[in-house]
Amino acid sequence: MGRAETLARAATLDRPAVAYLHRFPGAGGWHEYALTWDQLDRTTTWVASRLAALGLERGHRAVLTFSGYEGPWAHPVMDAVRRLGVVYGTAEPAGWDHGRVRVLQRQLAVTGLVGLSLETVEALAEHAPPGELFATTPVLLVRPEAVGPLRSAGVDAGTLAFVGPALGIECRERAGVHVDGASWRLDDDGGRPVIGGAAGGPALAPATLALDGAVVTGPCACGSTDPRLVLR
Amino acid sequence: MSGERYLEPEVETMPRERIRAAQQERVLALVDHAYRRSAFYRDLWDAHGVHPRDIRDLADFTERIPFVDKVMLRDYRARTGDPFAGLLCVPATDLVSVTSSSGTTGDPELFAEVWESSPPLVTHQLRDLWELGLRPGDRVLTPPMTFRNLMDYGYQSLGAVVVNVDCWFGKMADVLEVVREHRPAYLQFMYPQLVELEHLARHHDLREIFSSLKGAGCAGQPISRRMRAQVADEWGIRLFEYTSAADTGTAWECRENDGFHLWEDTVFPECVDVTSGAAVPEGELGELVATDLDNPTAPLIRYRSGDLVRYSGARCGCGRTHGRMWVAGRRGDETVVGGRSVALRDVWQAVEDQPETAGGVFQVVRAQREVDELRVRVGYDPELTVDSADLAGRLAKAIEERTGVVPALELSTEAEIMSTSRSVAKLARVVAS
Repeated sequence: MGRAETLARAATLDRPAVAYLHRFPGAGGWHEYALTWDQLDRTTTWVASRLAALGLERGHRAVLTFSGYEGPWAHPVMDAVRRLGVVYGTAEPAGWDHGRVRVLQRQLAVTGLVGLSLETVEALAEHAPPGELFATTPVLLVRPEAVGPLRSAGVDAGTLAFVGPALGIECRERAGVHVDGASWRLDDDGGRPVIGGAAGGPALAPATLALDGAVVTGPCACGSTDPRLVLR
Repeated sequence: MSGERYLEPEVETMPRERIRAAQQERVLALVDHAYRRSAFYRDLWDAHGVHPRDIRDLADFTERIPFVDKVMLRDYRARTGDPFAGLLCVPATDLVSVTSSSGTTGDPELFAEVWESSPPLVTHQLRDLWELGLRPGDRVLTPPMTFRNLMDYGYQSLGAVVVNVDCWFGKMADVLEVVREHRPAYLQFMYPQLVELEHLARHHDLREIFSSLKGAGCAGQPISRRMRAQVADEWGIRLFEYTSAADTGTAWECRENDGFHLWEDTVFPECVDVTSGAAVPEGELGELVATDLDNPTAPLIRYRSGDLVRYSGARCGCGRTHGRMWVAGRRGDETVVGGRSVALRDVWQAVEDQPETAGGVFQVVRAQREVDELRVRVGYDPELTVDSADLAGRLAKAIEERTGVVPALELSTEAEIMSTSRSVAKLARVVAS
C-alpha cells in the first residue's frame, strides 16, 4: 500500500519509447518531434555536466523556474540536478510568481537560480536592487531577455535558452549558449540559425529557429567542443 | 473505458477493517518516527505531556495527540528560522525537491519531498487517473503550472505520452488547435480556463474538439453547478474534480461523481467539530483533520485543514472502500452581515444566474467576518454586458433573494478581478477590504 506500491504496479505497464511529443516554435511556426526516453537521458547527462561545470554539486539547493508546458526542457534539468544531488525548488517563470522565488531563495539559501524570466527579474527588482538580490547566488542562469538588464545592473548572469527543441546553457566564458553537440546539429542558413538532429540524435529535420543569433562551431575557451549560439 | 477499472484492485477495494488495521499500524510507527526525528512534534507533544509509548491504538492517537494547524507551523518557522517548520524527519541534504502551496492567503507553505521516479503529489493521483481512463500510450496535455512539481513524471509513469502546449490563461484558443491535432485522452483545467472556454464556445464546436478526451481533471477551486453542467452537457467533457486532502495529497471524484475519494492507505482522515475538536458522526459537517501515512519525510499529523466536509466510509458505487468527503467550504468563509450569516455558495448562485456574470467571478470584500454591509465585487463579461446599471440591479435583487441581505456591489470586468488574484490557481472568494 502507498505510493511506492502504486509506482511498482505502474512499472508493470507497457511504456512507450516516447516520453513527449515535443512541440517547439521555429521561424515558420510550430515544429514537433518524438522525444524518446533515450534522448531524454542523453540530455540529462549533458545538462548535468554543464551545471556541474558551473559549480552546482551535492548539498546545494537550486530554484528551477519553468512553466508546466516546458516539460521537455525542464524534465532533463530536474533529472540533472537530482543526479548531481542538488535539492531543487520549483516556481513559475512569471512576474506574478516572483514571491515564490523570493521565499524559496530566502528560506532555502539557494546556490542556483535557473530559468528566471525578465518578468520575474523585474518583479524581484521592486524589492531590492539586482546586485543585492543575486549577490549570494553563484549560479545564475536566466532566460535570454533577462540577461541584458541584469548585466547592465552589474550582475554576471549566464544564459539559459530554449534553442528550438534543445537546451542552450552558457558557460563562464559568456561566449554563447552551448548546445549538446552529440544530439543536435546547429547550422547557419543565410544568417538564420538552423537546428536538426545530429547523427544518432533525435529524428528532427532541420528547422530554422525563431532566434536571432550567430552559430559558432569552434571549441570554446571552457574546453567544450559543443556548438554554440551567440544570441543577438 | 478500456481495461480494468482499478489500478490496484486489492488496495482500492480492501475491506474497511483491513484499511483500519493498516492505518493503526502506520500511525503507531509514524508517532514513534516523528517523535524521534521531528523537532516540531517532539516539542509539541512534550508540551502536551504525551509520549509515543502512550499511543497504543487509534483511539489513543485521536485522544492524546494534539492538533496541528497552519498558524502553529508558521509560528514555529518564524521562531526558529527553520523553513520546514521543524517537520523534517530526514536530513535536509536527503531531499530531492521542495514544492509549495499556492500561496493564496500568504507566503507559500513548503513541502519537502523525497522520491525516485515520480514526485509524491502526482504519484498520489495515479489511481485516480486510471479510474478516469488514462492508459499506456494515451496522450496527455501538459498542465499549466509546476509549483507542486512537474506533473509529467506521473503521467509518464502510467505510460502516457505528454504533449507540451502552453495552457496558460489567454492561450486556450491555441490549446483547442493542439487538441484537434493530437487528440489527447486527458488534460487538466483550472477555473479561469473554463471561464475562457466559455467565451470560445461561441465560435468553436467544443464538443467536437474535445471528443477525444476520456476525462479532464479540474482543481483549484470548486466548480459551480451551472459551469459543471455546461462542461458536461454542452462540451461533452467528463470532468473529474479534485481537491486537497489537507495537504497530504489529493482527493478525486471517481466516475460516480459522488464525493472525493481519500486514499486511506496514505492518509488517516478525521472529521471533527470545529469548536470542540470532537469527532462528528459520519455524514455530519465537520473540519477535515488529516494525518500523513505515507510521508516519512515531513509528515502532517492531526493537521487541521480548515476545510469543512462531510465524511463517509461507506463503499462507493465504484466499488472502492476508501472513504469519501463532500466539501462544503472553508472555515471562516461565511460572512455575518448585521447578525445574519451569508454563505458564499448563495452569493455564487445569484452571480452565476445572470448571463453577464455566469462565469461566477466574484469576491466578498470585508474587513472582518462580522460586518454591517455585504460588499461584493462581481466580474462581468464585457462582450455580453450592454447595460451595467441593469445588471447591477438584477444582481442586487438576486443576492438579496438568496441571502436576505441587500449587497453593496462593485462591478468590474472578469479580467480585472482575475488579475488581482495572488494565486492564478485560485480566486480568493473572501478578500480584505
